[in-house]
This record gives sequence, C-alpha cells and structure tokens, in this order.
Amino acid sequence: MRRIRLRTFVAGLGVLLWPLAFGAAPSAADALTVLQLAPGVFVHLGQQLPLDAPGHDDIANIGFIVGSRCVAVIDTGGSMRIGRALRNAIKQRTTRPICYVINTHVHFDHVLGNAAFREDRPSFVGHWALAAAIARSRDFFLQHYADDLDQPADAAQIIGPDRAVQHTLDLDLGGRHLHLQAWPTAHTDCDLTVLDDSSRTLWAGDLLFRDRLPALDGSASGWLAVIDQLSQLQVQRTVPGHGPVTTDLAAALDAERRYLRALIDGVREQLAQGGSMQQAIALVAAAEKPHWLLWDSTHPRNVARVYEQLEWE
Amino acid sequence: MSCYRSCVLALLLLGCCGSSLAVSDGQTPASGAWEYLQQQFYPGRSIGLLDEKYMSLEAPANTPDPAATPLTLRFGDAALGHIRQVRVIIDNNPSPVAATFDLALGARVAEIGLRVRIDRFTSVRAIAETTDGTLEMRSTWVNASGGCSTPPSAAAAGTLGDIRFRPSPDAKSMLISIRHPNNSGFQIDPRSGEPIPSHYVSHIRFSTDGRTLLEADTGISLSENPTLRLASDQPLPAPLTVDVVDSLDAHFNASWRGSVAESAAISR
Repeated sequence: MRRIRLRTFVAGLGVLLWPLAFGAAPSAADALTVLQLAPGVFVHLGQQLPLDAPGHDDIANIGFIVGSRCVAVIDTGGSMRIGRALRNAIKQRTTRPICYVINTHVHFDHVLGNAAFREDRPSFVGHWALAAAIARSRDFFLQHYADDLDQPADAAQIIGPDRAVQHTLDLDLGGRHLHLQAWPTAHTDCDLTVLDDSSRTLWAGDLLFRDRLPALDGSASGWLAVIDQLSQLQVQRTVPGHGPVTTDLAAALDAERRYLRALIDGVREQLAQGGSMQQAIALVAAAEKPHWLLWDSTHPRNVARVYEQLEWE
Repeated sequence: MSCYRSCVLALLLLGCCGSSLAVSDGQTPASGAWEYLQQQFYPGRSIGLLDEKYMSLEAPANTPDPAATPLTLRFGDAALGHIRQVRVIIDNNPSPVAATFDLALGARVAEIGLRVRIDRFTSVRAIAETTDGTLEMRSTWVNASGGCSTPPSAAAAGTLGDIRFRPSPDAKSMLISIRHPNNSGFQIDPRSGEPIPSHYVSHIRFSTDGRTLLEADTGISLSENPTLRLASDQPLPAPLTVDVVDSLDAHFNASWRGSVAESAAISR
C-alpha cells in the first residue's frame, strides 16, 4: 500500500517535471505564425474577418521587436488565447525578457491579450488617453468579449498602460531604439505609432488600414491631418493595423485618405441639402465600395459618426 | 408619465413576460412592454396593420450607432393630411415611449425622421391614429446594444439649446438639430465614474405665425443632440418656429424665415 502510494507520487512528480526537463519552449502548435520583416522585427498578420465572426480575436496585425537587452511587444491580439500564442512565438525565438507591451490604441483586437504577458512584468505603454479609454471600455469588453478572456472573465484581465506617452517617448531595447509618438484624435482618441530606428519599420497601428475598410472611432478630419503627417515619414516599411505590410507608405495612406475625404465631403453635401442620416448612409462615398473589404459592416457606422460630428461644425 | 415609473414598469413587465421571437408577416410580435402600453394608450381598441404604402417605418436592422439609430416614418398619399397622432415605441428600452407626435388637423406631413437610443435587441413600432379615429401600426426589429448607457460624446459639447435648420433645396423637407445632451439617466461619466442624472428634451413644438403644426412629447430615448426631420409634399411654411422645453424646464426657440440658403446659421 505504502509502496504503491510512493510510486504514484513519483510518477506524478515526473509528469509535473516533464516540461521542465525539455525547457520552457512551447510547441509550434500553440505559437502564433510570425514573419520576420527585418532582423529582430516580427509580425503576425491578422485575418480580414468581421468583428462577430469566429476568429474575430485574430484580426489585427500584432508582433514584437527584439533588442540585445529585451523585447517589446506591439499589440497583443483580441483574446488571451492570441496573447498567449504570441508570447509562445516570442519564447520560441528569444530568451530575452519582455520589458514592454505597447498598445497602439484601445480596440479589443489590439489589447485583450495584454494579460497573457502579466507574468513577464513588463511596462505597459500607451497614449496618454489610453488609460481612460480602457477604463470606459471595460464593461463593453466584458459584455461582448467575455469568451475571449480567461474564465471567469473579470475586469482585472483588461490591462491598461502604466506608462503614458504625452507626445513622444524613446524606448531602448539594447542596440535599437523605438520612437513612440502619441497622435491627436484620428482613428481613436488614443492612437500611438512605433518606429524602430534600426530597421526603419513603422508600426502604424490602426492609423493605417489596408484592404479592410478603415473604421472610424475618432475624428475623420483629425485622421486626415495625421495621414498628412505620417506620409512625410521616411521609412523602409510599414505595418498597418490591418492588411499587408507595405514598403510604399505614401501610396497606402493615399487610399485611406481618398476614402475619408469622400466620407467627409459626402456627408457635408448631404447635410447642406437637409439629407437624413439614412440617405447619407446610402449615398455617401458609394464609389469607394469596390476598393474595400467588410464595407457593409463598417461603412454605415462611419457615415453615422461623421454625420453626428459634422452636424454641429 | 414619469420616466422612473415607466422604467420600473417596463422592467418588471419584461422580467415577467420576456418576449417571443416568432415573427409573422414582417411584423414583430407583442412583447411585455407593448402589451402593457397598448392597454394604457389604446385600451379595447383594435389596431390595423395597413400596407407599407399607407405608412412605413424604416430602421436599420443592425444599427450604425446604438445611441443614435435613425428611424424614418413615411406616410403615403392616402394618409397625407389624415394623421392626428403618431407614437413611436421601442419595446425593450427602459422608457419605451420614444416620442408622441400630435399633428395639426390637415397637416400634410409625409415623413418624420428622428434618432433614438436603442438599449438592446428590440422591436420598434409606430402607431398612428387617423383623423377618423382608426389606429394603424407598423413595426420592425433593430439589433443593438447599450444605446441608453453610451457615454456622452465629444460632439455633445457646445451651447445648450442651439437650434439649426437645414432645409432641402425644394424646401419640402427640413432637418432640425437641437444642441442638448439628452442624458438618459443610464449614463456614467467616464471621468468621475458617477451616474449622470437624466436631462432631456421633453417637448418640441413647430408652429408658423403662432399656429401649431406639430408637437412632440419626447423623452430619454432620443439621442444626444436630438434631431427631427420633417417632410411634406409641399414647401414648408415660413416662418417656421421651433420651441423646445427640456426636463429642467429650460426653454429654447428659433425660427426659420423661409430662405433655403439660410440654413445652418440660425440660432436662438
């Protein structure tokens, strides 16, 4: 009796210790697929799916940059599952610690994986307005995306920044610096870009959408102003928030500018004629439709928002 | 009727009865709130369901903005000049009666557009009473959530009570925008975390030379910066005066003098 117990105990111990014997590197199966864009610069490309589709937690481009001292994560995906899979992908490639988790803005598909990095004790970095934006989104996230968090879902899993970027901030990863810039209200009220100086890679967050229709949650005219500034940047490549990586930032921004311009001009015209919001939704920027994915689920919302904003200009 | 009483009643009724999801003939089924309100407003009266040509209610099945969902009521030729009252009811909102429009005798209102908060998946219905006393109803579904508790937007700033007129080029329709937070009482101030007390437009009156054309009793279901869009088959009369009263008994008014060019610039 006693011997059996002892053997059971030893066998149990063996099962517990088994993963340690082979190191902490997780298997490929539960690590996110990432591309290396430049030495130490890795991106996972999200899928172009609607917000309510299965896989909606994996729609944003997220990734990480490895320095000689430590690693910075840029956005963490739309669920704990994606956050963990991103962390696994990092652990497969480097043993350096994760010192920063940077969020480009408040949307769920960019922040809900944050808690997967809690054990690394990184500094969570964001736009100065991100903390307030996270605070007012918590209930919404818990209501709509509870299944994407660990169960039971609770507000403590939705982590906001502990370090705020007022205008710009430089982060030293060892051998390379990241230049963070906080922008005025554009896609949201808390948009942040990250520029890796050594590879000249710009992480534009959702200030740049490619193929997927830009979703407006901030100010259309503010976004146009930011686009003008971004198009001045001299970079090697740009990682958009959604859609493929580009080496031609100006051209990518042009498409987005064209849509936002059509949105503003079209809504102004409708308002000038006393057109209703529904008429505006049906008519404004209709010529843009063939150029974008997920038009029907995003465009009406964009028109409504611009309509409400321009009503009082 | 006080907001709080209607909220409590509606919540109680919804809690007891729930709602059936069966849909027939494109019309939405009765819900607890509607059964109660029907008893309250139209006891013992039959309500017809005429075709779309007589009256239609248009709303997006998936709203572009739960806090500002556009609704459009249209009246066909047979109805023009024969509508006395229209009531808009959002079954599953905490205060289901969004607006009650009383039209002057013979007023040729062809279209009424408004923007409303939608709290959750609900049927939205419009019940019209004709000048000969019959009732007609149209209804539709709207899928949305959280419209009553959406925090105030930045666009809610500005001067309380500013009123803008936006006529169509032929002056047959007019979009009226009222600068007002129209706080529902279900919103939380994102900065302080404190509840924001309800503060809403309660009455809107349209008149020309002192003669009332249309009056509306409104409530917390209207969106912030409430808008009304009126259309007729004829050019709208001028001057067109809008008088607004809110739940704190503040009064605002503005007049449109009849020039199509004179759109946005008018205020109190």
